[in-house]
Amino acid sequence: MSKKGDDIWKNVDKINSELFTLTYGSIVAQLCRDFNHNYHEVNNQLDQMGYNIGIRLIEEFLSRTGAQRCQSFKETVEVITKLGFRVFLNIQPAVENWSSDGRSCSIVLPEPNPLNEFVEIPPTKDLWYCQILCGILRGALQMIQLDVDVNFVKDTLKGDDKTEIRLKLNKILKDEVPAGED
Amino acid sequence: MSNDNIILPSAASLSTLSIADNPKSGFGYNPSLGPLSNTITPESSNILLNRKTLSLTPTSGNSIYDKNVNNKKINEINLSSLSFLFCEAVNWTHRNSKGIQDLETRLNGLGYQVGQRFLELIKLREGVKSSKREIKIIDILRFIHGTFWKSIFGKTANELEKSQDASNEYMIIDNVPLVSKFISIPKDYGNLNCSAFMAGIIEGALDSSSFHANVTAHSAPIDGVPLRTVFLIKFDEQLVIRESLRFN
Amino acid sequence: MKLYSIYILNKAGGLIYQNNLDPSLNRLTANDYLVLAGTLHGVHAIAAKLTPTIVGKDSTSTTSGTDPTANNALLLSTGKVQNSNTNKTGLGSIETDLFNLYVFQSLTGIKFILITSPNPILQKQHEQASETFRHLYVLYSDYVMKDPFYSLDMPIKSQLFDLKVGELAALV
Repeated sequence: MSKKGDDIWKNVDKINSELFTLTYGSIVAQLCRDFNHNYHEVNNQLDQMGYNIGIRLIEEFLSRTGAQRCQSFKETVEVITKLGFRVFLNIQPAVENWSSDGRSCSIVLPEPNPLNEFVEIPPTKDLWYCQILCGILRGALQMIQLDVDVNFVKDTLKGDDKTEIRLKLNKILKDEVPAGED
Repeated sequence: MSNDNIILPSAASLSTLSIADNPKSGFGYNPSLGPLSNTITPESSNILLNRKTLSLTPTSGNSIYDKNVNNKKINEINLSSLSFLFCEAVNWTHRNSKGIQDLETRLNGLGYQVGQRFLELIKLREGVKSSKREIKIIDILRFIHGTFWKSIFGKTANELEKSQDASNEYMIIDNVPLVSKFISIPKDYGNLNCSAFMAGIIEGALDSSSFHANVTAHSAPIDGVPLRTVFLIKFDEQLVIRESLRFN
Repeated sequence: MKLYSIYILNKAGGLIYQNNLDPSLNRLTANDYLVLAGTLHGVHAIAAKLTPTIVGKDSTSTTSGTDPTANNALLLSTGKVQNSNTNKTGLGSIETDLFNLYVFQSLTGIKFILITSPNPILQKQHEQASETFRHLYVLYSDYVMKDPFYSLDMPIKSQLFDLKVGELAALV
């Protein structure tokens, strides 16, 4: 088991990323059948599933890294991209397009990533294949008292030039910050 | 559907065709006319030239079909990511299922699609030179238990056994099935084993290799190995007959 | 250090797990454990109010490590595990002649409480408690968070978690 000061990635139990890719694909395909190819509902369901994952996954992230409360949203996004995506998906997305108030920005995923590899979707405007990621981020951030809107704005699977997630910080849920932190 | 979508006459209408029948669009083979029916007339060439088309030419060299899956470096990913995804998949499947049996069937179905695809990948990578097609039951089982298991689950399975009671039943045993590593089944869920997903993967791979089988996962804990799971592989009876015809 | 007992509290102060690792301990009634958990939750919060702000700013408190910003900067630059305890100003420990009690709190508000044998060398005791908390938090995220049959904020019934906690206690 990991000790303080151990290399985080070295201590991670690793598996073949293709098993993950195919499993995710199988789930999305099943959802499309379950919802009769109503992609709007598929997106919602993926987002909900992501949220359910996010509110649990945050504990794993905190316990394995020892991250503490960030002092700004910029720092939060830096920890998510440099550490969160690295630890869970072994990728490091870029951060772009900060708004002037520092409350919204874009995360650009590298291609291919473990979710969309081997994937081609029928020409449809509606399905956001990796929507689960938005739910995960939203759920995980909510558990550390950040109310954030997360959604896709671009997807290479739809022919866009990049895969881009937009984050917008609504508010910090100060009342819910646990007592004793500072 | 308009008339010119019909390119070939159906088998039923073939017998009623006569020499006078020229398809309106100018396409389709009329056996009564012979090769003449394919002659291009000004009318048919006009249709050909003005037909709406869907471009199939790849627009960039970057499509997924252009990528080489053979010499691609296989990435590693955190087991936790799969565990969380699987946890939510079980949760969602559970909400939609009518009972324990149904839940296992659905998990098996999710795995099935993974097995079919993973088999294709692994066989493609073995390449023509080093690979051989498994044609005996025992060979395909050794392949699944060894190479396949190692490649997809990161280690070979523990035991491979043959049933002494039924000639078409085999067992692969895994002491710690990858997807169930963190899952405790509550007492009121009886025999539920979430490794039904892995059973589905095996079933998908076996079916795709033309070894039709039913695969189910059963908990068989022993001291110190609480998650030990038996994957029971029940081959189609026909396979046993095929095997005895071929090799005896 | 010997582990007597482990408590886990959800963020509302509800007891979701309790395990007496020392079989010689007298068992309380289920209700008493709930009351005890609620009391500790309250005392922890009151302690946070009582702590003079100057101490909070100053990182001299024994349970807290470095300040969050430095902690995260170190985390990002080295990629090495840091201390995930965010309990800075709340009740951190109670040390008596008969037992010691330690409180860990995660950023999400989950509390882990250890009751251990007393140890005259307090510094070593704190290090051990800190190590135990780290392992316990990892076990929680593995065997509780990744179990589809666990509902968030509800009592933990996972047999695997029990098993692993037992193994951890034997190691301490």
